[in-house]
Amino acid sequence: MLDVALVSLIEDMIEKAGADGVVEFWQRVGDALASRVGKEAYLGWTSFNVAVREGRTAFSIEGDVTPLTDMAITDVDGDVVGYLYAMKQCCYVPTVFRTRYSVGHMSAADQAVAQEYNETVHNIAVCNFCVFHERFREEIAKNVSVSGNPLVSYLLATRGWSGETKISSKNVAMVNINEEHMRALLRNYECVYALVMRGARLKGGR
Amino acid sequence: MAEANPFVEIATHLFLEDLASKVGVPGLNNYLVSLAKNLANGMPKEEYAAWHEFLSALTTGQSILSTFEEVRPVTEHCMSTPRSPFERGWREYAKRVGAFAPVHHEVAEYYNAKVRPIAVTSVHIVLHTFREAAAARIKVSGKGVRYEPIATAWVDGQVKMPPEDRLEPLLARAGISRTKLGMLLRNHADVWLVEAP
Repeated sequence: MLDVALVSLIEDMIEKAGADGVVEFWQRVGDALASRVGKEAYLGWTSFNVAVREGRTAFSIEGDVTPLTDMAITDVDGDVVGYLYAMKQCCYVPTVFRTRYSVGHMSAADQAVAQEYNETVHNIAVCNFCVFHERFREEIAKNVSVSGNPLVSYLLATRGWSGETKISSKNVAMVNINEEHMRALLRNYECVYALVMRGARLKGGR
Repeated sequence: MAEANPFVEIATHLFLEDLASKVGVPGLNNYLVSLAKNLANGMPKEEYAAWHEFLSALTTGQSILSTFEEVRPVTEHCMSTPRSPFERGWREYAKRVGAFAPVHHEVAEYYNAKVRPIAVTSVHIVLHTFREAAAARIKVSGKGVRYEPIATAWVDGQVKMPPEDRLEPLLARAGISRTKLGMLLRNHADVWLVEAP
């Protein structure tokens, strides 16, 4: 119920603080949640990926995350420095449907916040919740280390409940993944991101 | 209806905490009341020809009052909710984030002092305000429906109910005894009253 009520809260907040104010609120909430979830350390990618699959990492708070272990990310020396991770279902999709079947329609406030984020921060949001959990993942990645290296998160692609897709050209280039490949992944997944060792010299790095 | 991802509820709790740091406890109370009213007012109105038709809609999840929770009638006017619609979110928050921020209890105390003494935590402000506003959108035999909470039991076992002098008339209108209420609160999240005065 609280999830559906959130939509009303966002409407209210837009009236008082504007869509840009809601984006700031969501980003602060992402920071706050990440700061309250403790640090984690893994010996290597194998142990981290097992922990992800078993739902034991901080990233698992979002729901079921699949490590795409066939999609390693390598650095300029060809060493594995990260992997792709994907969620079959966006965290917010059940709420969209719950809102549809309780209120009757989704509020325009949802898209107003997503649009504001796309125009001013990163053109990747398909709903207002993307604003929060992109920031959350970025912050939580700093608290998770693999082989002694903290991680960095790159949100690569999203698919909204209406089928609309977004691919982050800059992040896809960063981890050296083909956009066509990303489109293929979006047929099976609704949210795809990369976790990479912080400071790794990526092939597409700037 | 499909279940929500509890992560959205965790995020909402944190959103409320952030909001409280900006507007204080009274401000958060106002936001919670306002969002619950907006939610109910955004949902379609309902009308029923007779009370039994309304009860049937309640128990089958067809009424606005049973959209987010299972409702079991105890008598014609006394309803019970076996599980709080906020329980999953609370459990996930406790598991993944830790103890609830004190502001959730502080705002409940504010609501108890200013409105009515029935909230254990912040989400009960949403729940009771929503039910009250939702009931006002229902007509049975042409008459409006009125909601009143009788008792709330939170996941951790804390129970909140009106003082004895206000509880007795409520129980009489609901058609249950004090003992029956105690029995219900062992394994129910809420006991409440609906009537068409």
